[in-house]
Amino acid sequence: MSGVLLGVLFVLAAVAGTAVVLTRDPRRQVFAMAANGLVLTLLFFVLQAPDVALSELAVGTAATPLLFLVTLAILRVSGSRK
Amino acid sequence: MRPRLVIAALGGLGLLPAIWKIALAMPAFGEPTGAYGPVVNRLGPPLRHVSNMVGAVNFDFRGLDTLGEELMLVAAVTGTVLLLRGIRGEDLSARPATAGLPVVKRAESTILVSRLLGPLVLLFGFYMAMHGMTTPGGGFQGGVALASGLLLLYVGDGYRAWRTLMRSPLLAAVEGGGALLFALAGFLPMVDGKAYMENVLPLGNIRDVFSGGLMLVENGGVALAVAGGFAMLFLEFLEETRAIDGEDRG
Repeated sequence: MSGVLLGVLFVLAAVAGTAVVLTRDPRRQVFAMAANGLVLTLLFFVLQAPDVALSELAVGTAATPLLFLVTLAILRVSGSRK
Repeated sequence: MRPRLVIAALGGLGLLPAIWKIALAMPAFGEPTGAYGPVVNRLGPPLRHVSNMVGAVNFDFRGLDTLGEELMLVAAVTGTVLLLRGIRGEDLSARPATAGLPVVKRAESTILVSRLLGPLVLLFGFYMAMHGMTTPGGGFQGGVALASGLLLLYVGDGYRAWRTLMRSPLLAAVEGGGALLFALAGFLPMVDGKAYMENVLPLGNIRDVFSGGLMLVENGGVALAVAGGFAMLFLEFLEETRAIDGEDRG
């Protein structure tokens, strides 16, 4: 059972990681990155590393994407003003 | 095909035998190889009376490393704040702006979800930070959760509500105070002639929230420093989205 779960999560991690690289629009890329973080969180959890999973969840899916989003919002606004 | 792709393909092809050889020589998946983990798992509970061995390694066995990481985080946040605030100017950062830049109007569902989730995330952050010695998580994870919970206030209620709550000096005090608490807690055993960070406080009972002795203090320091640091980081980034009263940024 856990083997199947692990296999699915490994495939998902590969797909999500590739999606981050192949996404060209920065705003979509931020969400692709957050999704990748979520998949990694589940993977770490299934691999019995809940401490790492929690760190990944907080930093990878909440903090980092948000900082990117704010940066993009600023760039968009100052870009449209010029 | 572009030349760089050709070069990448050729390089990959050249590396293939090496990759194949390394892949075959790797230990089987999930097979523990290090001696450190089993030793810590065996000796940790009787020696330190805590059930979260990751916490015991972070705050006791390798506590000095965590202190270094903590100071690195403080330095990183300080550098970011200096850069952003340096460009904006200290006077401008001290008082909240009247309004943030109108990015997108919030949907009512967004406001509802943020108001419902915000307190829950904050509560979970407190829980995680407090139970660092008993269950997975701890000061760092709890601190980030706390800062994220505060951030939901911005997502739900906007810049002004967020700035009413977020005071830059307070966040700086929480961040620096937490790191200071961690560093100073290490000196406590030295009063008694023991080594730096030696766990001299009563260890308590295993699986109790207040088990771990000095680790509890250090964990609390990390929680404060991380919550303050991340909230400060969010604040400085969101300050960049503010509209400057009456003047154009150019």
